Amino acid sequence: MSTPKDLVTIEALSDADIRNILKGAAEMKQVFCSGKTHPALAGKSVLTLFYEPSTRTRSSFELAARRLQADVTTFSVATSSVVKGESVHDTIDTLMSMHMDYIIVRHKNSGIPAVIARHAKAAVVNAGDGAHAHPSQAFLDAFTLQEKYGDLEGKRVVIIGDILHSRVARSTSTILKRLGADVAYMGPGPLVPLQKHTGIPRFTNWDAVFEWKPDVIYLLRVQNERMDTPFFPSGDYHQAFGVTEERLKRIDDLDLSIMHPGPVNRGVELCDNAMEYRNSLICNQVENGVAARMSILSYLSPLTQNHD
Amino acid sequence: MTNTYIRNATWAPTGERFDLRLAPGHSQVVPELGGLTICDAEIRPAGEMSIPARARIIDAEGKLILPALFDLHAKVEIEGRSKRESVTRTGQAAVQGGVWGMLVQPTAGFMFDNSAALDSFREAVGQRSAAEMVPAGCISLGMKGEQQAPYNTLAARGIRILSDAGERPGNLLMLHRAMKYVAELGLTLAIRGDVPSITANTCLHPGTTSYKLGLHGTPACAEEIGIEIIIRLAQDAGCKLHIQTVSTAEGVEIIRRAKAAGSQITAEVALHHLLYTHEDVGDYDTNYKTLPPLRDKADTEALLAGVKDGTIDCIVSDHTPCTDFAKKQDFPSAPQGMCVLDHFLPTLYTRLVKPGKLSWAELVRACCTAPCTIALPDVIDPAEPEGMPLLLFDPEATTEVSEASLPCGTCNTPLLGQILSGSVTLPLQ
Repeated sequence: MSTPKDLVTIEALSDADIRNILKGAAEMKQVFCSGKTHPALAGKSVLTLFYEPSTRTRSSFELAARRLQADVTTFSVATSSVVKGESVHDTIDTLMSMHMDYIIVRHKNSGIPAVIARHAKAAVVNAGDGAHAHPSQAFLDAFTLQEKYGDLEGKRVVIIGDILHSRVARSTSTILKRLGADVAYMGPGPLVPLQKHTGIPRFTNWDAVFEWKPDVIYLLRVQNERMDTPFFPSGDYHQAFGVTEERLKRIDDLDLSIMHPGPVNRGVELCDNAMEYRNSLICNQVENGVAARMSILSYLSPLTQNHD
Repeated sequence: MTNTYIRNATWAPTGERFDLRLAPGHSQVVPELGGLTICDAEIRPAGEMSIPARARIIDAEGKLILPALFDLHAKVEIEGRSKRESVTRTGQAAVQGGVWGMLVQPTAGFMFDNSAALDSFREAVGQRSAAEMVPAGCISLGMKGEQQAPYNTLAARGIRILSDAGERPGNLLMLHRAMKYVAELGLTLAIRGDVPSITANTCLHPGTTSYKLGLHGTPACAEEIGIEIIIRLAQDAGCKLHIQTVSTAEGVEIIRRAKAAGSQITAEVALHHLLYTHEDVGDYDTNYKTLPPLRDKADTEALLAGVKDGTIDCIVSDHTPCTDFAKKQDFPSAPQGMCVLDHFLPTLYTRLVKPGKLSWAELVRACCTAPCTIALPDVIDPAEPEGMPLLLFDPEATTEVSEASLPCGTCNTPLLGQILSGSVTLPLQ
């Protein structure tokens, strides 16, 4: 049974794919933490193609690829020349001529990685497209939670913040539900899609969240850069939707975990003390990001190897 | 030139069977109050006409005769083709789809805001097009929504309808003044309901698909509020208003109420809004990206009910050819629009008439008499009747939609690869 060529969405993967990638992440974490490399991608070329600024995800992918002994090329796209579909097509042609085996792509428009995946022989990994999907984040989140809780069946995760613009919310909720967890959304009214559209319970205040009895509080970054016209009153986000000192105490009393995909806006999503909270999994997420991405890259099957 | 005899024809709107003798070049149908009249033809009950032995005879057994269709909303410009070729190809597409005439929306290449553009377009149509192409004048100069186009000049050149091709002028004061001005000239303004500040940067109906694909939704209420606004402005200005591409159930209801209250308005629905929903977009299929977006199933049902009870006067193609390259872009970047003119009547028949959702009489009203009455008020001038040609439709034949069967040369249609029922012979002479 062959493994998929691309990772564009979680939805496109089978249950077995999800299980195998998570299992691989545990193995890759041992390699990564022992400072060794793994030859899974030896002799292969990996290209990172980021049309949107990113430090964490890009370096996480590049580190993962190097630990798999791949050659890594960084394709710089000036953020000023942000890019219409046409140039993406032209770029694909260029990349095809460069015989890349793996293309890791991030773009502000939803659906771009799918366009590239359809046309490229290389394995395409979606490193985040618009508000659509961020599957490698989903894997590192699921892996982090499995490390903490083991089986996720029946575990309750509430994702809080700007759901509307969040590819993390879409991909992470999808993988967690596939693994048997319950997911709910909470955030300001204009930023949380209706339950009839998402199939996910929708809350707009913390009282409802605590009443739902979550195990994990997953906070999303407020993405001001994605908001053209203001979605909520500026100034009172922290008070209304953030983890304040008061809420942190309640979270501590209930022994809940806190997650965040980073980078954190201190004083917006989280108060300062929450950054040091004993059950914060935020650093684990970053560390596990490399292991999860090593597992993803080694799992995919580019078509390029058959055309050498 | 000789007469043409048609034997055993079935008149689609009523199901009557008759024999027909058509004078050469004069077969035409004239809409009159309460029905349609075939002019310059001799009509006898089936089997009762004496037909000369050497006459040109068409045996229409099992086939239908109906007036050819008029499409009140089509774009002719094909990106990457010359204007002349665009006209030629679109004309071929129309005739193949059973459409003898269309109201051509202004586009960047056919900017009908001055008489020179109209003259050169009409010249190209006269030389090149197999179909009638009636231009719609611009509402605003360059369709920028800022300044009124020269309405007197346009009216003097035969323009009867003004449209900015689906772009509603953002400046309501300018629009209100335009309405007051054209009311005096007896022109009709064709506008789509929209509140641009709400729908900016959106490309899909808000729902399960927009959530799954991470795309911003175009709220139905923006279109509905927009419809209310233009109806109120047109009422105040005393101007004739045609509402373009209604896509929501509540939009139909607003128009129904306004008509009941005596408003001078007409309305249209694009065929794709009767056939498809936002769920058809699936995994970013840009062929289903339209303006306004495809809505819910309940909307398609309400729109069809609106056509049947006459609230929605016309079904239009909203034909918008897009290049393969443009449609292969990612969903937010790809242009809106679908290409359905090439198979308009077979699609209407296969998807609406054959399953019993729409009668032939309703189809003829919505795709022929109503749009003609709106676009060509002179056609029904009883002093000088000028009519529509007849077409012959074979419901048993099939048409496979392939690249070769798309004369307009662009493939942005979800019909590609499908087999449709029915084939068209137009003109019937």
